[in-house]
Amino acid sequence: MQVKSSPKPYDVVIVGSGAGGGVAAHVLSLAGAKICMLEAGGWYDAAKQSDMFKWPYNAPHRAAGSREKPFGYYDATLLGGWEVPGEPYTQAPGSKFMWYRARMLGGRTNHYGRISLRMGPYDFKPYSRDGKGFDWPITYDDLAPYYDKAEELIGVFGSAEGLENTPDGKFLPPPAPRGYERVIQRACQHLHIPCVPSRLAILTKSIHNRAACHYCGECGRACAVNANFSSPGVHIAPAMKTGNLEVRTGAMVSSVVLGPDGKARGVSYIDKKDRSEQTVYAKVVVLAASCCETARILLNSKSSGAPDGVANSSGLVGRYLMDTVGSAVSGYLPVLEDLPPQNEDGVGGMHLYMPWWNYQAQKAGKMPFARGYHIEIGGGRSLPGAGTLSGSERILGGGYGVELKRNLRKIYGANVHFAGRGEMIPNEKSYCEIDPNAVDQWGIPVLRFHFEWSQDEILQAKHMQETFQEIIAAAGGKVLSSAGAAENWGISRGGEIIHEVGATRMGDDAKTSVLNGYCQAWDCKNLFVTDAAPFISNADKNPTLTITALGWRTSDYIIDQMKKGNLR
Amino acid sequence: MSANEPQGVSRRALIQAIGSAPALAAAATAATEANAAEQSAAKPPYRPKVFDAHQWHTVAVLCDLILPADERSVSASKAGVPEFIDDWLDFRKREDGTDMLASQIMGGLSWLDQESTRQFGKDFAAAAPAQQKQLLDRIAWPEKAAAEDHRWVAFFNRFRDLTVSGFFSSEAGVADLPYLGNKAVGEWKGCDPAVWAILEQRLGG
Repeated sequence: MQVKSSPKPYDVVIVGSGAGGGVAAHVLSLAGAKICMLEAGGWYDAAKQSDMFKWPYNAPHRAAGSREKPFGYYDATLLGGWEVPGEPYTQAPGSKFMWYRARMLGGRTNHYGRISLRMGPYDFKPYSRDGKGFDWPITYDDLAPYYDKAEELIGVFGSAEGLENTPDGKFLPPPAPRGYERVIQRACQHLHIPCVPSRLAILTKSIHNRAACHYCGECGRACAVNANFSSPGVHIAPAMKTGNLEVRTGAMVSSVVLGPDGKARGVSYIDKKDRSEQTVYAKVVVLAASCCETARILLNSKSSGAPDGVANSSGLVGRYLMDTVGSAVSGYLPVLEDLPPQNEDGVGGMHLYMPWWNYQAQKAGKMPFARGYHIEIGGGRSLPGAGTLSGSERILGGGYGVELKRNLRKIYGANVHFAGRGEMIPNEKSYCEIDPNAVDQWGIPVLRFHFEWSQDEILQAKHMQETFQEIIAAAGGKVLSSAGAAENWGISRGGEIIHEVGATRMGDDAKTSVLNGYCQAWDCKNLFVTDAAPFISNADKNPTLTITALGWRTSDYIIDQMKKGNLR
Repeated sequence: MSANEPQGVSRRALIQAIGSAPALAAAATAATEANAAEQSAAKPPYRPKVFDAHQWHTVAVLCDLILPADERSVSASKAGVPEFIDDWLDFRKREDGTDMLASQIMGGLSWLDQESTRQFGKDFAAAAPAQQKQLLDRIAWPEKAAAEDHRWVAFFNRFRDLTVSGFFSSEAGVADLPYLGNKAVGEWKGCDPAVWAILEQRLGG
């Protein structure tokens, strides 16, 4: 599985094995390219390593989240989180960015939420629409065929709704909603907020010899039967079957190696086993190390021919870093009290969601912020762990004894949660650069983050807070936790939502972008990026589906250009 | 599958539920075996990491006052809640780099003893049930409590949360609620129509 020394030059070296590296490996290996993939973490096989069906009471601290395992003991992320041992990052004064990394085959696709929303036509041309941010060099129509391919491969459920700027896709049937979701949907009807089947990369029907979902509700633990999308199960396993893909794990890439002609010759990495430096040579280099790691590699690739790093003649590598705006409210709905027990697990995530509904109001200048958000919901009779039924005094007024025990049974399952996920507009003050002094344990200089929200994001978070409280009120409920002006409306910290995008932006001008419209470096024609670093904007549509579609399109372009001899 | 079978997936029940899916059955069997191994592993008696012997005894008494045994399930101490709380305080100390939570809990336990001794001449665990009730009634109802007791109300809220989440996330608590998931479901049908009928009625059609 992990052949170490291979003197032959490869057609392609791919850095990273997550959504972006995975789709490139899949498409390129099936087209016959000989590929070496480098993954900084270890091997991962969900069939053997997933903790599916295990009980929190058998885990330390009832499987609670920790710095080591932020999403809980059974989360699929074996080594990673906002802190990775021996791999620090630093902050500019006043910034509080959080950088999540998953050091494992498949990266963050093993545990992510599987929310799979297409960007819409407006999302590719946001500057043209409201004068803020920047337009993409491509349109929705350029990417639509690749959204089709991506959805057909990874498997996405959903429903055709025909909503504005919320394109429908090639959907598997959606799972029927849970009881509390139908209650919320009814409240949303009163408020004229659309509440429709969600769109998640989870199989409600068997496709491509992958099993259908068995509805245990714990997709974050990774699926032992491959019923949800992850890069190892869906991209890498079939790619390895072609015999064209070699995967090296524990390979921490430090830099791109340039030839005297200014083209990439390959990449250098530290073999984590013995801390030796290795180089892989290839005709084409694909970076998919994750948005910020990709920028870090480029910035650390300094040479006389590239004094500011590779592909950085524009000086824009690392710039215009974005995350998603998050804010949350939880509530209690008495209508859900004391219902007959039922299994409300379903798929690992919401069955219904609310896409953004104020495009026209924004266009008409009637909203105090520029861009939209969608609403994610949770609640119900969820898997009990640390924190279950906490804060009961806010509902019951307090108490103890047999009466408390009876009352707790009645209120179990009646809590609901709302989380907004909104678009951040790129700004000059949010970027990453190489820290002048600090290094990681492999000797690689680390990133220093600068991050700032603008009023557009803060006022969007305010709107989220107000809207979620209105929905709870419309459902006859009580707000349990919320945030006001003093808490900046509960806006998340940069990086907290784990949707970093934009650090090697694409564009149609080499002076104002790092990559062209095919995610090919302007300065280095055999260097491509297939993670979220090429994004020009960060619509409220979670990045992974667009990473997959865009990476597929880039891979098709690489095949075409290799055939034409244009990358030599 | 019944609620008092929280291990969830026997191989036979699973295959009945999902027909033929060998990979899933294998995964389920592996998890069932792992769960069972964890349960049956001979464990030495728990040694408290945070509490001393007297506190340990008081914690058990207080947990059971909060969640006593009833017709449906055992008491909090029988469900391992004192062990959960002791371990949780130790965990938070390491995780948060502060012992604020452990101090709040220990401070509250001290206050219960001091107050009980002042009023009844005995520490809290040794006081009569009516005396214990008298003290708890002072701090168990946040809206009704005296303003000067706010620290002990906060302590009790926190202690109640630890007891409640420790109990209802235990094997006994999962069966009590009952939580009916964490298992393979053959066909997902959404909200049970009988439950939806109740909800519709409550929502007013």
